[in-house]
Amino acid sequence: MWRKVAAVSIVLVLVLGVGILSGCQRAAETKKTAYPEKPIELVVPFSPGGGSDVMARTIAKIMEQEKILPQPLLVVNKPGGGGAIGWTYAAEKKGDPYVIATVSSSFWTTPLTEKTPVNYKSFTPIAGIGLDDFLLLVKADSAITDVKQMVASAKAKPKSLKMGGTSTSDDRVVTSLLEKKAGIQFNYVPFKGGGDVMTALLGGHVDLAWANPGEALAQIEAKKIRPIASASRARLSKFPGVPTLKEAGFEVVFQQRRGIVAPLGIPEEAVKVLEAAFRKLSETTAWKKDYLEKNLITPEFMGSKDFGQALEERNETYKTVYKDLGVIK
Amino acid sequence: METLSNLLHGFAVALIPTNLLSCLVGVAMGTIIGALPGIGPSAGVAILLPLTFGANPTTAMIMLAGIYYGAMYGGTITSVLINTPGESSSVMTTLDGYQMARQGRAGVALGIAALGSFFAGSMGVALLMFFSPLLADFALTFGPPEYFALMVLGFTALAGLSGTSPLKGLISVLLGLLIATVGLDVMTGTSRLTFGRLELLSGIDFLPVAMGLFGLAEVLVGVEKPGGFSIDKADLSLSKVFPRLADWRQSRWPILRGSLLGFIIGVLPGAGATIASFISYALEKRLAKEPERFGRGAIEGVAGPESANNAASAGAMVPLLTLGVPGSATTAIMMGALMMYGLRPGPLLFTQNPDFVWGLIASMYIGNILLVLMNILMIPSFVQILRIPSALLLPLIVVFCVVGVYGLQNSLFDVWLMIFFGLLGYAMKKLDFPTAPLVLALVLGEMLETAFRQSLTMSLGSPAVFLEQPISATLLTLSLLVFLYPLLASLWKGLARGTR
Repeated sequence: MWRKVAAVSIVLVLVLGVGILSGCQRAAETKKTAYPEKPIELVVPFSPGGGSDVMARTIAKIMEQEKILPQPLLVVNKPGGGGAIGWTYAAEKKGDPYVIATVSSSFWTTPLTEKTPVNYKSFTPIAGIGLDDFLLLVKADSAITDVKQMVASAKAKPKSLKMGGTSTSDDRVVTSLLEKKAGIQFNYVPFKGGGDVMTALLGGHVDLAWANPGEALAQIEAKKIRPIASASRARLSKFPGVPTLKEAGFEVVFQQRRGIVAPLGIPEEAVKVLEAAFRKLSETTAWKKDYLEKNLITPEFMGSKDFGQALEERNETYKTVYKDLGVIK
Repeated sequence: METLSNLLHGFAVALIPTNLLSCLVGVAMGTIIGALPGIGPSAGVAILLPLTFGANPTTAMIMLAGIYYGAMYGGTITSVLINTPGESSSVMTTLDGYQMARQGRAGVALGIAALGSFFAGSMGVALLMFFSPLLADFALTFGPPEYFALMVLGFTALAGLSGTSPLKGLISVLLGLLIATVGLDVMTGTSRLTFGRLELLSGIDFLPVAMGLFGLAEVLVGVEKPGGFSIDKADLSLSKVFPRLADWRQSRWPILRGSLLGFIIGVLPGAGATIASFISYALEKRLAKEPERFGRGAIEGVAGPESANNAASAGAMVPLLTLGVPGSATTAIMMGALMMYGLRPGPLLFTQNPDFVWGLIASMYIGNILLVLMNILMIPSFVQILRIPSALLLPLIVVFCVVGVYGLQNSLFDVWLMIFFGLLGYAMKKLDFPTAPLVLALVLGEMLETAFRQSLTMSLGSPAVFLEQPISATLLTLSLLVFLYPLLASLWKGLARGTR
């Protein structure tokens, strides 16, 4: 009987070990060069399957296929605390160029609201690699036809239109920007995740909602929901018929910025190598096809310096909106 | 007819050797993941997801779905044998399943759970196949007020679990609700009761709590007794471990009710298998002729909830496949996986990717057959675990709990949390406080609060919103009736006697 127990435990160890081992094996194919001499950890501060995870895994795959870096990137998920666990983990590896992390909105918002030990200043910016846009959506059979008419009815009766969004995230921020520019007030109903918001919109429990084009495409193509505007600088190539908020007369431009950061104090040479690698990545057809096109991300490459500036500007935007909303003092 | 020809086509896809193999691997891993305390289906799917990259989407998804419903079978095993739920929807099974094991009826409990799961799983897939579009529309009618009412109904399940003292039960519920408030508040984005710990920002996960309160606490109590676990080991011979006709007769209605209830609740995005199993347990207890048997090894208390959680996992596929919105934590990860494979789940999935959808549905029939065979045939060996001397079994349970909780997020913090709840569970047991209400309140509490505040936000503060919607009004009335049932029943009896 003990043999049976032993056999079962060996099977368990094997099953769980396969995942780890398949990662380690790749580490064996080492070539002698300067940085990087060993695999680089790409930290995703969220669970597998989310937007940041999809991006990280695509990056790792293309970097390896196109032989952009002599060493592989190993995707490591460190979820929890609204991203704070993963980013703190990365920031604490000061001077270690073998740990990099993905950047998404919580990179700014969690430190602002939670006063976590690390914030955008605790990292070396590497590259900005794309923008995730926001579409303003209504249900297909909604009485709302366009932004102007929507604003007029919101003005006539403040808080009569229910806007669904995820907690105090980007949805809240872009809603607030539109409210300010248009001089209106929505009844903002927070939900836990983007899926919940979409369900509430489809069920008619809210009148309006924001979603990234990648999240909304399937529903739009099925004619279940209708985009009435985008918060982008120019019309989105996938939705040429959808006007920007700017065209409708409300100067609201807001996108989720995606990028890569490293810990502080890493060698100058490493920054250059990584920056060049991500620049090269952003120029490959595989990246354009497998990531940008598939997830409807607007391409925009930024080098270390520009991205550093963008990090700061973005922090200011969030700070202002959060102060207006009373989320922070 | 079209459905049937589609299904035949689906079987052609599912029976391709690679797909068949991936189904087998999926359900086998699902059983292991479900059985291992700590790693539940969502963590299991997340951990194994990277292994599927590069595979054909249909093959990969057949495996992931197999892990999902396989875990619903596997979760029963540790609940029954060592009082440690492998995943959240098996908590109810510990109440009567473990008692059955102590009476030497572990095999019967596992057998009826496997048969019930098979029936529920197959029925769930059939309903998914025929009624998906209709069900999707039904799922969408549930907004925040309806969810609030559903959670209230779930809470009525707690009333029956308070044990000897209603006051102690109430304290346990309140403790659970308090723990549910820890973490970032969805409505305002502020953190509550986190004491500056980053780990607490995302709240206290159900698993470390359940494993501490059930598994670890049971070990601590067991250590005290000279004989360790007081399990009746008298008869573990083969002929006695399988359910008998009488057991089956007792369980068939609970299985049928559990399956229907589980499927309907599973279809609702966000409600899921755990709540389905609570409500099924409460329902069976209310309908039972001798409700006092519940908590002391009533087979209906295993059959109902175990069927409900399996049917719910099939139901949860409805919103994913027909609407493109995930209905549970596990299906949310699956949806991310689908997008990584280049499939965009949405209303057009059925028409644009029939191979994928029907192949997956057909594979779920096959997977359920594999699972019921696997689980029934393995019962004799599972039950042998009970023969391990408790001097070895108890430390082994502790090892499984620690490794399982650590594996959840690779976080030592979670391990400490589990140890804390283990000690709390021990104290509660000693002082005769029921632990199940705490765990259930923790699971329901967050959704209850969020739905309540969302509803009031939507109505700009008017509580009438709960009564204006027909579904929420019905559910709330039902809850009130369930809650007042004992009182009404005794009043009725008193009246009947008085008139005589």
